[in-house]
Amino acid sequence: MTVQTISDVVFGDEITPWQPDTSLEASRSFAQAVGYSGSGRFEDHEKARAQGLPGALVPGIMGMGFLTSMIHRWAPRGKVKHIDTVFRAPVLADHDHTVTAVVTDIDEENDEVVLDLTIKNAQEETRVFGTATVRFPPAG
Amino acid sequence: MTDIDDLRSKFLDLEFDRTGFVIDAEQSATVAKASGETRTEFIDPTDPDFEACAPILASLASGRRLPIDFPALGGISMDGGKAVACIKPVRPGIKLTGKTHLHDIYAKSGRSGRMIFLVSRMQLYDDAGEHLATTDSRQVIRERPDQ
Repeated sequence: MTVQTISDVVFGDEITPWQPDTSLEASRSFAQAVGYSGSGRFEDHEKARAQGLPGALVPGIMGMGFLTSMIHRWAPRGKVKHIDTVFRAPVLADHDHTVTAVVTDIDEENDEVVLDLTIKNAQEETRVFGTATVRFPPAG
Repeated sequence: MTDIDDLRSKFLDLEFDRTGFVIDAEQSATVAKASGETRTEFIDPTDPDFEACAPILASLASGRRLPIDFPALGGISMDGGKAVACIKPVRPGIKLTGKTHLHDIYAKSGRSGRMIFLVSRMQLYDDAGEHLATTDSRQVIRERPDQ
């Protein structure tokens, strides 16, 4: 489901959950592009385990990318004005995760919507949560 | 135990770092694509409206993480999260200046002890001095029981 204008948005609606690509390959590509590569933490399960981690991690800010991508699919004309993400626990590469969002506020006067955001693993454990404010083009 | 009010009075809202950046369009597009982005203004550098995506703005790191005279708090430090406020589109290839200050210092107590949160805020400006975006980095320090 997508929304084009703020009048399409319903309070309490849940954006269609999405499973992002948390593969090691995607994590590696992201880490290299932001300069996080080299330690193996985001690129290699064995090297990550040697550092005491349960496996290679998805960079925390990649979670922010998953969330903004989902918002952009849901609202193709919306702009993410603000996004705040709390890294509660690691997102492990090569493990399935689900990204969800719920509409928690609609400010029609300013054409803005607030979303509560979550990334959960397959055990339904919250790994990342946060909020986003999305601005829609003025009606009319 | 660290005196949070003392830290706040000494360090909040004082710029402690100024760093220059130029965002590479291809790198930003790679970051956006790896995150599952589908909108062309974030994944196609030839799009006339192409702009830097939120995670690449969040990845910009100040030269110093904390003020030079900030006391060592000990304990275990973790990346607690990131926030990005987009004020105007940030175009790759332009010179940016990031001015960083400590925006907030606070503590939370739980069963496993106290955690101190340090929020570093970087404000990004273009060459004309226009404020384009703000990023927050939340550092969490779990105090050692003996502190």
